[in-house]
Amino acid sequence: MALVVGGALVVVLIVVAALAQWIAPYPYDQMHIRDRFLPPSLHYLAGTDEYGRDVFSRLLFGSQLSLALGMTATLISMGIGVPLGLLAGYRRGATDEVIMRTLDVMMAFPPIMLVLLILAVTPPSLMKTAIAIGVLAVAPIARVTRSVTLDLMSGEFIEAARARGERLRYLLVRELLPNVWPVLMVEASLRVVFAVLLGAVLSFLGFGVQPPAADWGLMISNGRAFVDTAPWISLAPGIAMSITVIGISLVGDGLREVLDPKLGSRR
Amino acid sequence: MNTQSRPRTEPLLEIRNLTIRYREGDRHVTAVRDVSFSLKPDGALAIVGESGSGKSSVAGAILDFLGPASEITGTILFEGQNLAELTPVQRRNILGRRIGAVFQDPFTALNPALRVGRQIAEPMVQHLGLTLADALGRAEAALREMGIDRTAEVARAYPHQLSGGMKQRALIAAALACEPPLLILDEPTTALDVTVEAQILRLLSRLRADKGIALLFISHNLGVVRRLCDDVAVMYASQLVEFGNVRHVLEQPAHPYSKGLLASRPPLAATSRNSRLAAIDGQMPISAEPDAGCVFAPRCPFREPSCSAGPQPLTIIPGGRTVRCWKAGEVGPWPRQQVTAAAPPTFHRGDALVNATRLSKTFDASRGLTDWRLSVTGGRPQVYRRPSRVPAVNDVSFSISPGEVLGLVGESGCGKSTLGRLLLQLLRQSGGSVEFDGADLARLPAQALSPFRKQAQIVFQNVGSSLNPRLSVGEALDRPLALFSLAKPRDRTRRVEALLDMVRLPAAYRTRFPHQLSGGERQRVAIARALATEPRFIVCDEPVSALDVSVQATIVNLLADLRDAFGLSYLFISHDLAVVAQLSDRVAVMYRGRICEIGTAAEVLAPPHHPYTQMLLTSAADDEPVTGPAVSDIGHGARTGCVFAARCPHKLGTVCDTTPPPLRTPSTTHAIACHLDTLPDTAVPPVRADPYPQRAAI
Repeated sequence: MALVVGGALVVVLIVVAALAQWIAPYPYDQMHIRDRFLPPSLHYLAGTDEYGRDVFSRLLFGSQLSLALGMTATLISMGIGVPLGLLAGYRRGATDEVIMRTLDVMMAFPPIMLVLLILAVTPPSLMKTAIAIGVLAVAPIARVTRSVTLDLMSGEFIEAARARGERLRYLLVRELLPNVWPVLMVEASLRVVFAVLLGAVLSFLGFGVQPPAADWGLMISNGRAFVDTAPWISLAPGIAMSITVIGISLVGDGLREVLDPKLGSRR
Repeated sequence: MNTQSRPRTEPLLEIRNLTIRYREGDRHVTAVRDVSFSLKPDGALAIVGESGSGKSSVAGAILDFLGPASEITGTILFEGQNLAELTPVQRRNILGRRIGAVFQDPFTALNPALRVGRQIAEPMVQHLGLTLADALGRAEAALREMGIDRTAEVARAYPHQLSGGMKQRALIAAALACEPPLLILDEPTTALDVTVEAQILRLLSRLRADKGIALLFISHNLGVVRRLCDDVAVMYASQLVEFGNVRHVLEQPAHPYSKGLLASRPPLAATSRNSRLAAIDGQMPISAEPDAGCVFAPRCPFREPSCSAGPQPLTIIPGGRTVRCWKAGEVGPWPRQQVTAAAPPTFHRGDALVNATRLSKTFDASRGLTDWRLSVTGGRPQVYRRPSRVPAVNDVSFSISPGEVLGLVGESGCGKSTLGRLLLQLLRQSGGSVEFDGADLARLPAQALSPFRKQAQIVFQNVGSSLNPRLSVGEALDRPLALFSLAKPRDRTRRVEALLDMVRLPAAYRTRFPHQLSGGERQRVAIARALATEPRFIVCDEPVSALDVSVQATIVNLLADLRDAFGLSYLFISHDLAVVAQLSDRVAVMYRGRICEIGTAAEVLAPPHHPYTQMLLTSAADDEPVTGPAVSDIGHGARTGCVFAARCPHKLGTVCDTTPPPLRTPSTTHAIACHLDTLPDTAVPPVRADPYPQRAAI
């Protein structure tokens, strides 16, 4: 059930983001100076902001940025975290200690401060935000991967592969990874949610995407000044963000339900 | 309760027409079908059957453990009360108070965070309303009754500080804490070593005699049942197929399934290379419909067309037994397989395939940053230095000729699996050397081992984890072919099918995944995977220990056939001396990292014996067992003398503790490491003065 509802929401979101150019009534940065602060109407579905830009169009374009950020960041953290976790769990010993203690050091920094530091000293860009958020999530991804790997290592099929003299890469990619994958899918969906939220927070603080880009966090931040006269400017991106987060979280929950019984029967 | 004054002729437990069905998704699976039996107040009844026969579901129904997905019909009368009519609270008051239960795995049945004494006291606080202090006092008395000496220490210990046998004793003490008239035991000795199993069985039979407790004993092991029970019920595919006196059923089984089950147990004797175990072909159906005829008919060698005509009723045959087979009186003995192989090969010690010389392995105890550890047991923090470990394998030498099978017997923790992994270089030895086909493996770098890896393979015990759950059977078998370029890509499918055929599985199994296979089938695939590289040597690490007895027989036969067909050498590791004797040319007996006796199978099974071999033989035999302390109950004391000294019933004195035993050679192929000048020549060791000399492992 969770999977169906969440999956539907996420699919709608992706379709909207992909087709934003064509379904948006106006370009995201087109100003209508005479139509400033208009409430939602048939003409402007979600009203207009202080420059008379169509909030609905900006929402649609904003979904591109949010999803791109969430997915890029998660791909980066998986790309680094999964191999590290597999290696640490498989090799144990010194390799394990070096990898995991390094990640512990990374986890010791407050996440927001670390990202702010990176973005404050260098000119901000979407890619840089994604990398910063992605690197932050390497430690939790690696930890999950390592713990599942440790559990799998007691399986005799690993020993059978070693008795054939299999190379490290085959062991990690063909024997271990397919068994870690179900758990990682659940973890990845949560990471996308965190990345989207953190991206919005950064934009809100002015360190993420720069105006006039239509980013949800930026829109909320801009609309803050007019929240008593034109609440829709902040409310609309807020609602969009909630729907995104709920959708992806539901997918994660659904995956957990679907995949966990299989994990149980594996033993 | 007035129920206690009921006349002793009435049954304590009576089960009538019990049927249990489980809902699995939208279909129903019948686990138990129309089972009836009764148990007298001082009786002992065994329910015997293979996994999936429904025997544990019967116990689960009595104990109300089956959960909401089950549907129970029929009546369970306990002390005259119908258990189904009781409220949950009344039901709970009976459990622990009037019915005690002990389960298979003592290693997980105790809560690791609570002291053992507390866990024994808990039911008394719950049911008898004792204060915790009183209950703890009684718990110690209960432990003493279980034959434990240092009761105060054991009661204060945490479960991880006790050996498996000790844990099972503590669990029995907890089950009997409120002196229930009925004790239900579900495979209580299956997870234990034979010598410990013998001790637990002896304890149970003493408790039964002293306290007049009724036992409902559930087991797959017919030998265990014979030692303890009066009556036995044999279950097959959710039905009762035979019921009667233990001696009658085990000595003259009437139902074909009982016959097959008994015949597939390996005898405790050396056998020729041509003999095979009797096996029951096929596998047990899940939720078979008895209306379509006898449920055993598809696997029965005595079947006739009329067997499948209609349901088989339970009929009484002479001798007071009930049997679910219309041919019961007329069935002959179970047919035995015999193969006509060539004359047994002779082995020359000179041209060994595998040669282990003074092999040792000590696991690195100083793992982590320092050897110092902090302990907070007993409330006070304490810093101590981690002790270095006893070697898992200690100065072991032997050789295996091409085509020869060396059996390796020993209890859990004796180092036999470590030894197998050393031979395959899955672990690197701490000392000594392994030669394979004349090459010293230790001198080869890991990368140069590839040709050796192709020639030496391994088959594991745990059928649940020996195959990657995400790879299909075809993929698992294809990999070794691709890795060693043993077949051209377009021929590989044919080769995989040929491998499946070798282990007698249909070619269609290529597309199946491990969770779609039964335990025996998985083990066949694992054997096929080992064969795929066309090895000359296979380490079989307890390959049949996790399997039911009839499946075990088919796998042992398969291994014997493959040995003869391809001239394979095995190191066959098992805790079961009978299984080892069935397959091995020579047998080595291992105890705490050392080989204490090695010889041909016939020599090891016949006197003269090493005292430890003698103890193993006695424990494995069906007679009244005689015991010494359990293996892990001994501290790591004697490092210089004989490793077995602390348990040895023939111990001479300090010489055994301080001096390494000399090697006695009764024949050129037989060696025994022992100080005794006259080695024991009977199977039964002398009984010690103290019949329960167990000590805690703390």
